[in-house]
Parts: sequence; structure tokens; C-alpha cells
Amino acid sequence: MKLANPLMTASGTCGYASEYSDFVDLRQLGAFVTKSITPAPRTGNEYPRIIETRAGMLNAIGLANVGLEAFLKDKVPLLRELGLPIFVNVAGVKVEDYVQVAAALEDVDVVRGVELNISCPNVKAGGIQFGTDPAQVGAITGALRKVCRKNILIVKLSPNVTDITTTARAAVEAGADALSLINTFTAMAIDVERRRPVLANATGGLSGPAIRPIAVRMVHQVYTQVARAANVPIIGLGGIQYAQDALEFLLAGASAVAIGTALFVDPRCIVDIRDGIADYLRRHLIARVRDLVGNLQTDA
Amino acid sequence: MFLAEVVANTPLCGRHYLLRLALPQFPPTAAGQFVQLQCRYPQPQVSMREADWPADRPPRLNQPELADHEAFLRRPLSLADRHDAGDHVELEIIYRVSGTGTAWLAGVQPGDRLSVLGPLGNAFPIRADKPLAALVGGGVGIPPMIYLARALAAVGHAAIAFTGVRSAEFLPGTLISDMPPRSDGTPTFCLGEFARYAVPAAVATDDGSLGFSGLVVQPLERWLDRQRIDPSRLVVYSCGPEKMMQAVAELCRRRDIECLLSLERHMACGMGTCQSCVVKIRSDAEPGWSFKLCCTDGPVFNARDVLW
Repeated sequence: MKLANPLMTASGTCGYASEYSDFVDLRQLGAFVTKSITPAPRTGNEYPRIIETRAGMLNAIGLANVGLEAFLKDKVPLLRELGLPIFVNVAGVKVEDYVQVAAALEDVDVVRGVELNISCPNVKAGGIQFGTDPAQVGAITGALRKVCRKNILIVKLSPNVTDITTTARAAVEAGADALSLINTFTAMAIDVERRRPVLANATGGLSGPAIRPIAVRMVHQVYTQVARAANVPIIGLGGIQYAQDALEFLLAGASAVAIGTALFVDPRCIVDIRDGIADYLRRHLIARVRDLVGNLQTDA
Repeated sequence: MFLAEVVANTPLCGRHYLLRLALPQFPPTAAGQFVQLQCRYPQPQVSMREADWPADRPPRLNQPELADHEAFLRRPLSLADRHDAGDHVELEIIYRVSGTGTAWLAGVQPGDRLSVLGPLGNAFPIRADKPLAALVGGGVGIPPMIYLARALAAVGHAAIAFTGVRSAEFLPGTLISDMPPRSDGTPTFCLGEFARYAVPAAVATDDGSLGFSGLVVQPLERWLDRQRIDPSRLVVYSCGPEKMMQAVAELCRRRDIECLLSLERHMACGMGTCQSCVVKIRSDAEPGWSFKLCCTDGPVFNARDVLW
């Protein structure tokens, strides 16, 4: 699958696209990734759901979403207007939930891919528990592989593991078409005056510039140890704010990048990042983004 | 998103500052709306465009990471007033220093440039059938009431302000020197910000250091007692600490007076995507409530719908 440019949104930071319509023209993207969709609507966690930390933030939204039915009826028509390939992030508490949503999305022309959220740290069941055990990653990926025929299957990996190449390998061996990494880090902030966790959910996922260097390392590991040989593209994400951040991910081995938390601060950063990458390619006489992917100089 | 120039950033009282921002243009705004202010300078960014590079300096793509005292996310701040001049718009924001972002903001100087996202949120509805309004502001909830006083004055509605603060030194307003606030809580033209829109004000302090000694809801109740007007012709607007707004809402409920509250929540984006600023709002569907977003569904909600 070929994208007009390597920029996407990170699931959960761009809603269903219409929210940002007053602030930025999302057609500047290469693809759009939706907020997680579960079979039934979810109200999400109690307030407070976020807290800023140095160079980042914690969130524990709890997969609040409109549910599959409302998504198909109300959101898909709006997404169609974008004219972009749409990747739908899919979540659930059991394998059948993922299968149900992914199966329904096979009939939606504008949807081109499904991103398996097996790495959400903020729900009691499902999510991350699928994503930290290679056997379970393989099982759920295999189950979805049978359902996803038209749609490409992207598996979003959790960084909350000792060795991310093991879960990456499990996903690839079970038939993933692409990998996206990383989701947020499980983290915690404490209000010392009240001696209580800040977030109602106690823990949340850390995102933002603070996690970028770890994300770059993980992309590089997965690229060199798993994805390159298997010829499986990586969508790199984690704290990208500027063009050079995106370039780091591309050089580390990502074929595309997703912008997340930075959109909260400035939705128009996607334009600066896209233009910055294009300018970098011109300046270095590199014809295509593809020629940059994993093109890290390792000799001394 | 707009780049604004700081006109003034003046201490008003303990921990509160008045920030005046000039912009070449800004969309129409209404009282109750807010902006998301970036509490750090627009990126000290080295442009990725080669054409932008100075001739005498080599390209440098490694940016400094954010310094640890800088706020990453924007800060939602309500508008305290707006003035349209011929060639520019001036926005007034009164903020209280309460953390990383606002502490940084306290240091900005006239001429500095800040990134402003907005206007955001709904607004205080102006009720044509309610020609008398009480504006109840607590602490840093007072500023949006100033903008509302202006909006009500513009449509010829009468308004009375009730302001509550911990202590005289934290009153984000200008006392008129020959008109001290009354200790019995009777509204007078004692605060410049409201008096300029012909709105009398009462001041209540927790420690009795200025005006009425006690909670702001008490002078409000006394004033309501004296009104002969039909409650359906009255509206109460409020912004401030939740406990204060709860007391105001309860008072209005007992007297069958419409009450509109401007709520405050931590928010990341302010645009309806991050889903963090949720408020429990009564609904007909099970389980009797749903989460609404303070940023796009609010910040103004009808008090009867808010589940505390």
C-alpha cells in the first residue's frame, strides 16, 4: 500500500477527524487513524483523566468511544469526506470483540486498514494484556488475520515489555501486514499534598516528547531484528513534534510516522513536519522517503 | 491559531495578573469563551527550510529539548474582556499563578509573542426574557464575569456582581478609592472592572479583610431576598470554586431561578479530541447521565444538569 506522504495521526489524538476541522486541513496527511472503536459505546474513565508531566502527559481516558454502530453510521460519512486512506483502531476486552469490529469494517470502502490496539494501558480487561504476552499477540493477530481480507492488518505494539522484538515477531509470524509502535508507557503521577494518585484511574499512559528516544530505539530494534527481514513496514510513533523527530523514526526503520500528543498543542504541526521532511529529502538529494527508511550510517 | 503580542502583563493582586494581548485579527468571541494559551515562547525552532537559514550559520537540526520548567500543553484561560480597535483586537485575560504554565506566563514582557488557540467553548447564553442578572464569581472565576458584564450592558440588561475571594490581597479587581465595598454585602460601584459597565458589585472575603466577611453566596441570598422581580425574569451566572458554584446552584434551585455555571477542568487540547475534560451531565438515557466535554460542550452548563 502506498501513501501520499508518510504522516498519519496516532489513534486517540485526533478523534474522528471532524473535531479538528476548524483548526487544520487533515488532507495534508498520508493516512488517518481513528480513535479506538469497540463493539459497544464506552463512556471511559472518571475525571481526572490527564495530567501534564515534564515534556509529556499521562492519560487514562479508558477507550471512550461511540461504539461500532454509531461509528459506521455517523463518523464514516465524515471520514469519507477526508479523501484519505482510513485506518481504524480496534479495541476490545476479548478476541471476539476485535473480530466483530474488524469484520464489520471489511464492508466499508473508505477504511483501508485495521490497527489492533493490544496495548492500551488504561482499561481493566483486554488491551494491554493481549499485547505483552507473545503467545497472546500471536493468537489475536491470527484470529484477525482470518477476518481482514480487504483491509490491511496493523498490530500496535506496547512498549511495556522487556523485549519488544518478541511481541513484534509474534505479530509478524501470525500474519500482521504492518506494525505500529509504540503505544504509551504505563505510568503514574502522585499528588503529594493529597497523597493520592492524580488520575482517577491511578495509572495512565505516558506520551509526548519525553518518550521519543525510547520509541526510536524500539523502532530500530524491531526494524533490524524482525521487520526488515520479513519486509513488514513499521509505523513509528512516540513523542514526534518536529520534522527532525519524524526523520529520526524514518532513519531508525519506520516507513511512516504518526503524530499524537503534539496535535493537542498545535494541530498544524503536521504541515510543518510534512514540509520539513520534503525539504530534508531535497537537501540530501534523496528521491523518496523509502530510500531513507532504516538508512542509518552505522560505520565509524 | 494566532500569534499575539503582549501589550501588558500587570500584577493585579496576590498571584493574579492581567494579560493584555494584541492581535491583528481574532474571530468573534462571546463572554464565557476561553482560549488555549501556549505558556512558552513559540518554538525557538531552527527552520527545516534551507531557504530560512542564515548564510553565516550551518544547518543545525538537533533542537534543544524542552527545558524542564516549560509547560508542554497549552493552558485554558477564560477571556475577561475584548476590545476591537480599528486595526487590531485586544484580548484581556486575568490569570492566577497556580503552576508551571502560569508561573512562566507571569514573566512575559510587553512585546513578547504568544501562540493563542481559540476562541474555544460555548458562551454564557444571554436570556432575552431575563432582564436582571446576578454574576457570581469566586477568585479566578471573577474574570469571565467582567466580560459577561460587558455583554449584558451591551444588550441593556441590568446586572449585579457578587465576588468572593479568600482575602483582600487576592481580589483580581480594582477598588474604587472613595467607594469601599460594603461590609453588609450590599452591592455598590466599588470595583472598577464592573463599574465601567454600570454594574454594582459586592465583595466577600473568607477572612473578613474586605467587604462582607463570609461566603459570597450570603450577600447573593440577601440580595435575592430583596428583589421583587418574578424569579423567572432573573438569571444567575457563576464561575469559581466548585463548592461555591454548588452553593449558588442549590440556592437557585430552591428559588426556581435559572443558574448557568462555567466549569473548570484539566484539558489537553481544548478542541474536543483528547476526551480528558469530562463533566457528568444529566441525561434521559441510562444510567441517567453522560460525560460531556468541558471544552466543546461547555464550559457553560445549566446548573440543573450538572451532577457533582
